[in-house]
Amino acid sequence: MESAIFVQNLHKTFRNGSSLKAVDGVSFEVAPGEIFSLLGPNGAGKTTTISMLSALLKPDNGATGANDIRIMGRSLITEPLAAKAMIGVVPQDIALYQDLSALENLIFWAKMYGLKGTLLKTRVAEVLDLIGLTDRANDRISKYSGGMKRRVNIGVALLHQPKVIYMDEPTVGIDPQSRRSILDGVIALKNQGMTVLYTTHYMEEAQELSDRIAIMDHGKIIANDSHENLIRLVGQKTRISLSINTEPETMIEPWKACKGVSTIAIEESKINLLVDDSNKVLPRLFETAAAKDVRITSVEIQEPNLETVFLHLTGRALRDA
Amino acid sequence: MLSILNIALKDLTQIVRDWKSFLFLLIMPIAFTFLFGIAFSGNSAKEQDLRLPVGIINHDNQSPLSQELEKSVSASKVIKLKSGEEEALINQVTQKNLTAALIIPAGYGESLKSATPLQLSLWVDGVSNDGLSAQTEINVQASRLFSAVQTAKVLAPEGGPAFDHVLMNALQEWKNPPVALSQEDASLKNADLQPVSEVDNNFTHSSPGMILQFAIAGLMSCAQVVVSERKNHCLQRLMTTSASRVQILLGHYLSLVLMIFAQFILLIIFGSLVLKLTYFSQPLATLLITLSASLGIAALGLLIGVAAKSEEQAIGVSMIFMFLFAGLGGAWVPLEFTGKTFQAIGHFTPLAWAMDGFKNILSRGLGLESAWLPAAALLGYAIVFFSLANWKFKTQ
Ligand SMILES: Nc1ncnc2c1ncn2[C@@H]1O[C@H](COP(=O)(O)OP(=O)(O)OP(=O)(O)O)[C@@H](O)[C@H]1O
Ligand SMILES: [Mg+2]
Repeated sequence: MESAIFVQNLHKTFRNGSSLKAVDGVSFEVAPGEIFSLLGPNGAGKTTTISMLSALLKPDNGATGANDIRIMGRSLITEPLAAKAMIGVVPQDIALYQDLSALENLIFWAKMYGLKGTLLKTRVAEVLDLIGLTDRANDRISKYSGGMKRRVNIGVALLHQPKVIYMDEPTVGIDPQSRRSILDGVIALKNQGMTVLYTTHYMEEAQELSDRIAIMDHGKIIANDSHENLIRLVGQKTRISLSINTEPETMIEPWKACKGVSTIAIEESKINLLVDDSNKVLPRLFETAAAKDVRITSVEIQEPNLETVFLHLTGRALRDA
Repeated sequence: MLSILNIALKDLTQIVRDWKSFLFLLIMPIAFTFLFGIAFSGNSAKEQDLRLPVGIINHDNQSPLSQELEKSVSASKVIKLKSGEEEALINQVTQKNLTAALIIPAGYGESLKSATPLQLSLWVDGVSNDGLSAQTEINVQASRLFSAVQTAKVLAPEGGPAFDHVLMNALQEWKNPPVALSQEDASLKNADLQPVSEVDNNFTHSSPGMILQFAIAGLMSCAQVVVSERKNHCLQRLMTTSASRVQILLGHYLSLVLMIFAQFILLIIFGSLVLKLTYFSQPLATLLITLSASLGIAALGLLIGVAAKSEEQAIGVSMIFMFLFAGLGGAWVPLEFTGKTFQAIGHFTPLAWAMDGFKNILSRGLGLESAWLPAAALLGYAIVFFSLANWKFKTQ
C-alpha cells in the first residue's frame, strides 16, 4: 500500500546572520491510519519539518540527492494544491482570529478550505460538537481559556475532513484535563482512519499515542521505530540518577569502572547512569562511594523508557537537551 | 475569487467589530470640518469688508437727485459710506481712517438741470491708490447722474412730471444696461459667483480636507487587521489553504477599498445634505474622484499593514502619513494660499490631487472632464503602493 506521508531527504538551513541547519536529511514514511510521532527537545527541528510538509517553507535543494514530499501519493512540490487539500494542519502556535467568535472562525476557515452551503453548516456543527464548544460558539476567541483555544485550533484543521493531519505540539501549556481530552481526540481520529503526524517533546504522549516514533535531535532523525523496538535499543538497561554531597565529577571515573555500568553523564549536578541490572549495580555504587568517603544523598531508579532511549542515543536528557 | 471575497468580508467584520474606532472615523471628520470651516469663515468675512470707507456730508439732502447720487455711491462695490460732521470726517481723512470725504453742496440737485452745475467737493489722500479708486468711483457715479439729467433735459425740455419720468427711465437704463452689454455682464456675474459661494459656504475646503485626512486615519484600524493576522499566525494557516498570496493580498485590499469608500460616501452625503455642498451637482466627477482616492489610500494602508512590524507601528505610521499628507497636501490650509514651491511639493502627496479633484467640483463648479487628471494621479499612487505591498508581501 502507498504511504500516506512520504518524506525523502529534507534539508533546511536558516541563514540569518549565522547559518543554522535546522533540518538535516530527514526521511520517513507514514502508513495510512498510523499515528506517527516526531519526538525531540526544543529546537530539534520538528516545526521546521512540519512547515516544509505543509508547503509553508521551501526545502533546500538537496545537494545530497533528490528530496521529495508526497501526501497520499501526490507530490507537494509538483502538485501543491492537490497535496495540500489532503492535509489539515494544527500549528504549534494558535492560529485564530482573536476578535472573532469560534463560530465565525470555523465558518471563515471552512470557506477557505472550499466548503459551501449545507456541507459547510453541517461540518461546522460537527466540529463544534467534537471539540465540545457548541454552547460557547458565539464567544470571542480572546475570551477563551488556553485549553479551549487549543481545541478550536485543532477543530479548524478537521473541517475539510483531511486524510492526513499534522499536529504540532497540540498540548503545550494547557491543563491536564484539556490535555487528556485532546489525546483522546487524537485516538478517535485514528479510529476513523485518519493518518496523524504528531510532534511533541513529552515522551509519555509519544509513548501512549504512537504506532511509530521518530526521535529527532539537531535536525536529524536518530531513531525511528515502534515504542517496544525503541526500548529494546537500550536493552534491559535501567536509568539511575544519583546526587552526592560533593562535586559530581569526583565519582565519574570510579563509577564508570564498575561492572554493569554502560553510560554515565552529569546533568545539572546529578549523575545519570544506564545500568544492566540496578539490583546488582546499586550496591557496588554505594561501596565505591563509601571507599572514597562520598555520601550519596538521593537515588532515583527508572525502568527503561523513551527518556532512557534518548539518553542512550545522545548522552543528554530529553527534557533539557 | 471566492477566497478574496471571503477574506475581505472577514476583514470588514473585524474592522466594524471595533465599532468605537469606526464611529470615531465618522464623528471626528465631521467635528473637524466644522472647526476648520468656522476658522476659515472668519477670514472671508474680513475680506468682504475690504470696501473703501468714504465719509459723506449731504448739504442737499432734500433734492431727489442728490439723494440718488448718495444712493448709487453707497451701492457701489468699491465704497462703503459713513456719515458724520464735516470737520470730523475731513479730520479722519487726514488721519487716514477714511479714504475720502464727499461733500454734496446745497442746491447741487437743482444745479444739474442748469447750464452751470455745482461742483462736488471731495477730500481725498491724492497720493494713495485707495484715494484714486474712491475718486474714480465717485466720478463715475456722478457723471452717470449728470448724463441721465442731460438725457431727460433733451427729451422733456419743458420740465415737470414728464421730465421726472424720463430721468427715472434714464437712471434705470444705467442699472439695466442695453443688450450689447449683457455678455460682459454675464461674465461678470460668473466671476462674482465664486467668492459669493465661498462666502456662503465655509465648508467647501474643510469638508473634502477632513474627509481625506480621516480616510488616512482609518488606515489605523485596517492596517492593524493585516498586521495582527500575521502576528497571530493566521497568515501561515491561510497559506496552508488553497488561497495564493496574491489572493490574500487582494482580499485585504478589497476590504480596505470598501471601508474607505463607505466612509467617503457617508461623509459626502453628510456634506451635501447638512453643509449644502454641491458634491452631487457633478455626480460622475464626484464618484470618479472618490473611487480613485479610495483605491490610492487603500493601497497605502495595505503597504502599511504588510510592512509594519507591530500593531503599534501600524498605528504610528498611519498617523505620520495622515499628518504629512494632510499638511502638505492642503487638507488644512488650501494650497491656493501657499507659494508655488509649496504647491509643487504638496502635489507629491496623493491628497493634493484628491483635494484638487473635489475643489474643482465644489468651488470651481467644474465637471467630469476636470476629474480625469486628479483621478489618473490617484490611480498612479494606487499602483505604486500596491506594487510595493505585493513585493514586500512576497519576500516575507
Ligand atoms: N524562521 C526561522 N529563522 C531562523 N531560525 C529558525 C526559524 N525557525 C526555526 N529556526 C531555528 O531552527 C531550529 C529548529 O526549530 P524548530 O522550531 O523546528 O524546532 P522544534 O523542534 O519545533 O522546537 P520546539 O519544541 O521548541 O517547538 C531552532 O534552532 C530554531 O531556532
Ligand atoms: Mg516546534
